Amino acid sequence: MNANHTRMLLSGNHAVSWAARLARPQVIPVYPITPQSPIMEKLGDFSAQGQISADILTPESEHSAMAAAIAASLGGARVFTATASQGLMLMHELLHYASGARAPIVMFNVNRTIGSPWAFWPDQTDSVAQRDTGWIQLYSETPQESLDTTLQAYRFAEQVSLPVMICHDAFYVSHAMEPVEVPEQALVDGYLPAYAPTHMIEPGRGESFGYVIDQKTFNQTRRELDAAMAAALPAIEAADAEWQRLTGRGYGVVERYRMDDADRVLVTMGSMAGTARVAVDELRDAGERVGLLKVRLFRPFPVAAVRAALAGVGRVVVLDRNFAAGSGGMLFQEVKSALYGLNGSAPPVHGLLAGVGGVNVTPEKICQFLAGTDGAEPANHSVWVE
Amino acid sequence: MSNAPSPLWTTGHTEVFHTGTWRSITPEYRYRPSPCHQACPVGGSIATWIGQLRDGDVHAAWLTLTENNPFPAVAGRICHHPCEEACNRGEVDGAVSICKLERAVGDRALAEGWRYPEVPVTRAEKVAVIGGGPAGLSVAYQLRRRGYAVTLFESQPQLGGLLRYGIPPYRLADDVLDGEIARILDLGVEARTGVSVDAETFARLRGEYAVLYVATGARRSKRLPGLDYTQPWVCDSADYLARTNAGAVPEIGQRVVVVGGGSAALDVARTARRHGREVTVLALEDEAQLPAQREEVVEALEEGIRLRDGAMLKSVTVHDGGALTLHCTRVTFTRGEQRGQFSVLPVAGGEFDLDADCVVPSIGQDADLAPFGEQLDGSGNLLFVGSDFRTSADGVWAGGDVASMERFVTAAVGMGKLAALAIERELDPDAAAAAADEGTAVPRAANNTWYHAPRPRAQAPVRPAEARVDNFDEVQLALAAEQALAEAERCFSCGTCIYCDNCYYFCPDMAVTKQSDGYAIRTEYCKGCGLCVKECPTGSIEMRAGR
Amino acid sequence: MHKIDYEDQGLFHSGHAACPGCQESLALRTILNALGDNAVAVFPPSCGAVICGPHPYSSLTIPVFQTTLESAAASASGLKRALNQRGKSDATVVCFAGDGGTYDIGFQALSSAVERNEDILYVCFDNEGYMNTGAQKSSSTPLHASTASTPAGKQSKKKNMVEILAAHGIPYVATAATGYLHDLIAKVHKAKTIQGTRFLVVLVPCLDGWGLPDDAGVAVSRLAVESGVWPLYEVEDGTRYTLNKASRERPVNDYLEAQKRYRHLDEVRADEVQASVDQQWAQLLARVAGSGAQSAA
Repeated sequence: MNANHTRMLLSGNHAVSWAARLARPQVIPVYPITPQSPIMEKLGDFSAQGQISADILTPESEHSAMAAAIAASLGGARVFTATASQGLMLMHELLHYASGARAPIVMFNVNRTIGSPWAFWPDQTDSVAQRDTGWIQLYSETPQESLDTTLQAYRFAEQVSLPVMICHDAFYVSHAMEPVEVPEQALVDGYLPAYAPTHMIEPGRGESFGYVIDQKTFNQTRRELDAAMAAALPAIEAADAEWQRLTGRGYGVVERYRMDDADRVLVTMGSMAGTARVAVDELRDAGERVGLLKVRLFRPFPVAAVRAALAGVGRVVVLDRNFAAGSGGMLFQEVKSALYGLNGSAPPVHGLLAGVGGVNVTPEKICQFLAGTDGAEPANHSVWVE
Repeated sequence: MSNAPSPLWTTGHTEVFHTGTWRSITPEYRYRPSPCHQACPVGGSIATWIGQLRDGDVHAAWLTLTENNPFPAVAGRICHHPCEEACNRGEVDGAVSICKLERAVGDRALAEGWRYPEVPVTRAEKVAVIGGGPAGLSVAYQLRRRGYAVTLFESQPQLGGLLRYGIPPYRLADDVLDGEIARILDLGVEARTGVSVDAETFARLRGEYAVLYVATGARRSKRLPGLDYTQPWVCDSADYLARTNAGAVPEIGQRVVVVGGGSAALDVARTARRHGREVTVLALEDEAQLPAQREEVVEALEEGIRLRDGAMLKSVTVHDGGALTLHCTRVTFTRGEQRGQFSVLPVAGGEFDLDADCVVPSIGQDADLAPFGEQLDGSGNLLFVGSDFRTSADGVWAGGDVASMERFVTAAVGMGKLAALAIERELDPDAAAAAADEGTAVPRAANNTWYHAPRPRAQAPVRPAEARVDNFDEVQLALAAEQALAEAERCFSCGTCIYCDNCYYFCPDMAVTKQSDGYAIRTEYCKGCGLCVKECPTGSIEMRAGR
Repeated sequence: MHKIDYEDQGLFHSGHAACPGCQESLALRTILNALGDNAVAVFPPSCGAVICGPHPYSSLTIPVFQTTLESAAASASGLKRALNQRGKSDATVVCFAGDGGTYDIGFQALSSAVERNEDILYVCFDNEGYMNTGAQKSSSTPLHASTASTPAGKQSKKKNMVEILAAHGIPYVATAATGYLHDLIAKVHKAKTIQGTRFLVVLVPCLDGWGLPDDAGVAVSRLAVESGVWPLYEVEDGTRYTLNKASRERPVNDYLEAQKRYRHLDEVRADEVQASVDQQWAQLLARVAGSGAQSAA
């Protein structure tokens, strides 16, 4: 396609490994876990072959991996790591620590069920449960998007000094192989200048990090975190736009698929967006005015884009592949919250728990789920469907 | 590029917090007198000169010593060393052998021929010192060093007084005494020996000299009541020693009984022993109570002198041919409140006899106040002096045995020093240092003994008894040089900073700073924990209440 | 008496928040000056972390990264790797952690860092409990010591961290105590010359937690050493043992009686402590003898 690219047949995980290779991280603390392990294994191969100069640190746990990642980041290094499921759970304390430290770590999370009981299926509960940790979060639909988003992430992470978590679903994306356009190193180098933080832990510099602070100063740090998240949205959009200029591939913070004149809109994240895309095509072929809103950026939640996309739509159906007992699907909550105050143009919103625990959701199922909402009053809670 | 906001990163250091406000007690560096110094009759800055000795600067040690005492070699042999009784190390693993260290310094000075710096006469007031013993020599030395012209009057042919005529050479060799006296004279002290000062002379001297210092000693032996001193078998002890030391040994019999328990009694006994006599010492006190120094008693016993302690002579039977039977009784001796006061209680059934040819009473000496009786107030035995050694007459001071019952050589030297300081205060108030209250001595608990590894007290060699009973060579020998150095290292340096830096390094708050002359406390940071005090090996820092 | 002699480079600043007489701050001062200024430090929550601050002021000249309680060794590893990547490999990365952050919650990360032989110096300030949170027990709290969470005395023995690390084959592990600053300095200097993970555990009597007067910390640390409770020794590569002070010259009771945390002990339990120390001492001597290393006087 493009002289600056090589097309390779890659799994989603290996596409991420390639992105990490091209971003030139200096330290990679990482711990194996299914289904993330192929990402670290491929990085190990790159390292063994001298293709990356990053220092791969293999500690005894994800907790230590994230601890090392934060320290390395504050030590002035560009950092990459990856995890999944239980590993992300174990990191939880340090996810807050990383954002509080304003460490622009880029982490890839492969969405997998969290125990108990034990399972290894695609489910986004692991990462959506981290929505309040101060990380930028994006969900990827394809291996190509995973590669592209990972590279974009370094650009805006370092601009706004926030950590970024990119997620794709176990197996559907992580292990499925697709042709992937892998950009040349020079293109990436032009897109990602070397990491040069203003503050860092360095011998001879008179600054230290992490001391006990007073209430007022703590409050100030949270206000600044809030401002950074606010600044992240345009930075993310700009990074995507620049990437599109360079590669022809851009994704937006949300994607409006066949939404022109749509009176019903499916809303979802991750691999299910790909399935919904097929369902929408089939329904459109059948003459139904159905569209898809793919939410790619989950934190900061793109409220304005979601409102713009859904205002005045006849019906919104949110498909959540995650579940929080007591509150249901989290995308459903976020979308409802985003639409609050639209008054006359606010659409009814149905929240469906579809695919929780990794159960297969086919395009036909999605068509059925949508039909199931015909004439129904939307419940104020998520509804289980299968 | 990225700019993490500043509230997360430190911008300076903690000196902005003045943690000194936490404090309720404050460390304070203070020179504090050592117990040895306070016990020393000459106030001998002992911790200081031992420190100099330890540092290898013997000359400096000698200069410090001789600030207070021109007789380190003499005192290093015969001082009763109350300093060692007071030594804080005593209860740990034995007092520092201070006396022997003083001897080491004094001997080194004599061997090297060290001299005092010359001092010109800068004062118009002339000083006459009557009596060339330890007190007189001490006052002459101190005043000469302060720019006064001093003339010494001594009735004997040679200077030294008791040192020369009362202490036998096996305790104090003549050349040692001569050396230390010569050094004083070399300062420009005029000595007129063989000049007895009677009442008339004394009156004349008062007219000629601005200051008179009377230190004629106590040369008149006390008499044992009931003993007929006219008998040929009675020999006065002072007379015995003076004649012996002058080379004319009195002809007394073979079996000698010395009555008395002091140093003089033992000197007589041991001198007679060296002349081949069989000697018994008859003393009122029990052996442990004897006023003589313990080592003298031990050495006397080693030399074969018999001790009948806790016993009193009651009467004497003279047999035909001159042999004596001394009728004695055992007694219980109780010391009185004042030195020289005592009571004795005969023990029932404690009578016993001793065979003898001669009795040498040695029960102490009194001053002869006859030359001064009309002009100075006194009471029979002693001249009255005030705390500054001033007598009842203007311009006349007194000290030593003529004015005190202390009867120790070093006490006399100390009195001479104090009188000299008082005289200077009188004549030249600007130059004189005010008498300062030194405060209390460093208590034992103030020395952190962890820094003083256990090490036994140095034992100086002593010539074996069999090698000393037929001659007058010195019994007590000097510490070897390395022994002296090791002994100097045993000193706790009580109250005298040794600049070990412990206070500096053990401060968790960096509140102790090194200064050119020691250390200072940064009170704005000192939290008052007291570690500097606790880790001081010398007790040179104290916590005081308040900030 | 060993003279303490180092040039204080002003690397630890007055005005820090340690309690008066704090042994940890004394150890910190000494170690920082022995390390020099080409270093960065990692502190997990601990008394040490409090002594560092408060924000925005630091008592350390060298940069400090304060991390989470379980993460000291992992954070130091990450920091070291970052500095290496940035061409600063000559800088020392040092952890200053308490015993809670080392023996307990930080142990997993520490064990892993040692297994990876990370090129860091890990200093544990061992005050035998969670003193910063009010003196609760840790796995470093010794047998029968009373803490806020074991008011009747801890029923189990102290974890032997040195032996555990020696079993990792760590290049250098050593004990130290604030009563022996010259020894502590020598060990820091030695550690600086060694590549790989180095572990120094310094006994820092906690005045408040142990029940000691403000000026007693140094003396009590010496009682610990002199009674054999806290032997001063080094193990190199997990096998070569050196006993820095070869003799015990006092009963453990001398040490126990100086502290309020042992005030409740009866004779039976005091004897149990003595027996435990005897057994540990015998084991240490056997290891020293077995390794063919020398004991210093």
